[in-house]
Amino acid sequence: MEKYRPKKIVDVVGNEEAKAAFIGWFRNKRHTKKALLLYGPPGVGKTTLVNAAANEFGFKVIEMNASDTRSEKAINAIAGPATSFVALDTFSSDTKGNVLFLDEVDGIAGNEDRGGVNAIIKIVENARVPVIMAANDPDLDKLRPLKKVCALVRFHQVRIPLIIATLQRICQKEGVKADFEALEQIAQNSRGDVRSAINDLQSLAERSKTLTSQDTIMLTYRNRDIGMDETLTAYFSAKNLLDASTVLSRSGVDYDDLLMAVGDNLPLRYQDPAALATAYDFVSRADIYRGKIGVENWNLLRYFYNSLSQAAAVQPGTYKPFKFIAPPIRIITLFWTKGKRTALEKICAKIGQRCHVSRKTAKEDFIPHLKLLLARQKAVAMIAWLELSPEEVDFLQKMNKF
Amino acid sequence: MAVNEDAVMWVEKYRPKTLDEVVDLKDIVESLKAFMRNPKTMPHLLLAGIPGTGKTTVALCIAHELFGQNWKTFTLELNASDERGIDTVRDRVKDFSRYSRAAFGNVPFALIILDECDQMTGPAQTALRRIMETSSRTSRFILICNQSGKIIEPIQSRCAIFRFSKLDRKAMIEQLCCIAKNEKVTLEPSAAERIVDYAEGDLRHAINTLQSASAFREGLVDEKTVSLVIGEASPMQVQIMIRKALYGDFVEARKMMYDLMGSYGFSGSDIIRQMQRELFKMSTLTPEQKADLSDIIGEYDYRLTQGANSDIQLSALLAQFAKVGKASGDTS
Repeated sequence: MEKYRPKKIVDVVGNEEAKAAFIGWFRNKRHTKKALLLYGPPGVGKTTLVNAAANEFGFKVIEMNASDTRSEKAINAIAGPATSFVALDTFSSDTKGNVLFLDEVDGIAGNEDRGGVNAIIKIVENARVPVIMAANDPDLDKLRPLKKVCALVRFHQVRIPLIIATLQRICQKEGVKADFEALEQIAQNSRGDVRSAINDLQSLAERSKTLTSQDTIMLTYRNRDIGMDETLTAYFSAKNLLDASTVLSRSGVDYDDLLMAVGDNLPLRYQDPAALATAYDFVSRADIYRGKIGVENWNLLRYFYNSLSQAAAVQPGTYKPFKFIAPPIRIITLFWTKGKRTALEKICAKIGQRCHVSRKTAKEDFIPHLKLLLARQKAVAMIAWLELSPEEVDFLQKMNKF
Repeated sequence: MAVNEDAVMWVEKYRPKTLDEVVDLKDIVESLKAFMRNPKTMPHLLLAGIPGTGKTTVALCIAHELFGQNWKTFTLELNASDERGIDTVRDRVKDFSRYSRAAFGNVPFALIILDECDQMTGPAQTALRRIMETSSRTSRFILICNQSGKIIEPIQSRCAIFRFSKLDRKAMIEQLCCIAKNEKVTLEPSAAERIVDYAEGDLRHAINTLQSASAFREGLVDEKTVSLVIGEASPMQVQIMIRKALYGDFVEARKMMYDLMGSYGFSGSDIIRQMQRELFKMSTLTPEQKADLSDIIGEYDYRLTQGANSDIQLSALLAQFAKVGKASGDTS
């Protein structure tokens, strides 16, 4: 990734308008409006542009970003001296001066960064060097005061063809053979985020030097809250344990729903009884962890996911697409059979009353005999004694034996 | 023999009313009769043993002997398997013990019969222990369970424990013959033997089977009829489910499992217990195969108690069966 970070402004992909505005400000306006706020989605080249520009124009970048704490004190500690050394630096031969670059200013938040925004405004007002800031979401309330003292430059998502071209260039240099479809998939999936596209390419290329669209299926799940169908597709088609666990860790599906869905669909994934038994064994273990988690032992959740992942990787490479069963069989069965069950429970309760047994014992020990007697027309007295309604008698007669 | 003429189910009709009528439990009956002579001395009782051996009967007999005809007024009968929530138990016991202080004759307490106590969870049992303590002045408990091991120690230590073992074959046959005679049914000796074999010491099972068999032919129960009834009354679905799984037809077997859960409301552990029982009745399997399969059932019965979803554990169990069936090439 860092290897291909552009060193020159022209190498920064896309966003020509923003680039022009940025250069214009850098050349001329920084003397009138000292601060600049670059904003736009992540990975489109804001930081890169600042570094490339500084490189080209011979400035030195003093950078602070989200990884640093930005309370007022911390900002002053770093930015204060940097801004005041301007005179000294101007005389040194290899730089024309300093640029203070505050990256990810919308990350200033909460108690930890108390007073951070105000400190920045103070610095902008007092600074003798240009101040550049970058943010993803410029509409945040707390940044509003900042916007008043800054010039604004807006960045957009980088267009897909440009990303593809960039990826192709990198592939060429790295000796990676990639299908156009694969790169297109990576680019599209990045949704205009060049950085993530390059990251994806790198992680895929690390596994093999040839990329096909097959390899990129997994990518679709990055950075998105993925639903049940997508989760199951990616989960069941996983090529190895790592892929399966990656899918589960990125899935937004509730783990109980997931457990049930995997349990229901497993027979469609594995035709071979031995593989199916092994896979179910893992799901069974996952369920045991689920049982042990209860409502408090959440630290066990990772073992739950681990076991569930193993179930997907029993026979890698045998995956053939199939239509998923949904909603869960158990819920459907219980829904359709609710009437039957309640009717049976009521009859069993009546038997239980009369014969001093639980409904369960009534169901297992009495119902079969009652059905037998009904079939033999020998139950008239019994029906009266148990106070069964005609509907209940009818129900018992029609009910299948268990 | 005493007969409850108004009852139609034979198990009720011929349920003993006094301790003297109880068959084959001499030791237990003798100890209990000592309490009956001086009810003040009666402690809480815990009756433990396999189904159909007379625990509930003995409890009801005690109620009869203590309170006579009006026993229902002074006795609260609850089934813990039906009233799973301890709150229900607590409320009903509380209400009951409050209103029944008007003691009967020389019996200074009311009686609470709590059946199938081993179905209660640990916390529920702990709550029960409290209830037993707070209401001990006004109430006596008879707790009934299959396995006393599932009852928490503090409760066990508060009770006099009586263990009911499998009923004696001879006593069971005698009882069956007695009922048959009273119902004017000829019970062939070989048929009686067959019923007792099948019932495995469970008298309730035996009497129900006898009653069903008597409905087939007027006035005669022979061995053939009994076999027919046993076949008809066994959980065939469970056997078919096992067979399907062993054939390798996992999907069908699983469908039947869901039907058992859905249509009949069986819990996962009900089904596992029935599988275990039916497995040993299957004539197509060798003893070794049965042992192996039983081992698998045991493993998943355990997992069922640990896990969260019984249908997942049962599915996993059926998948194991399908694997075994495939591996042994046995498509019996």
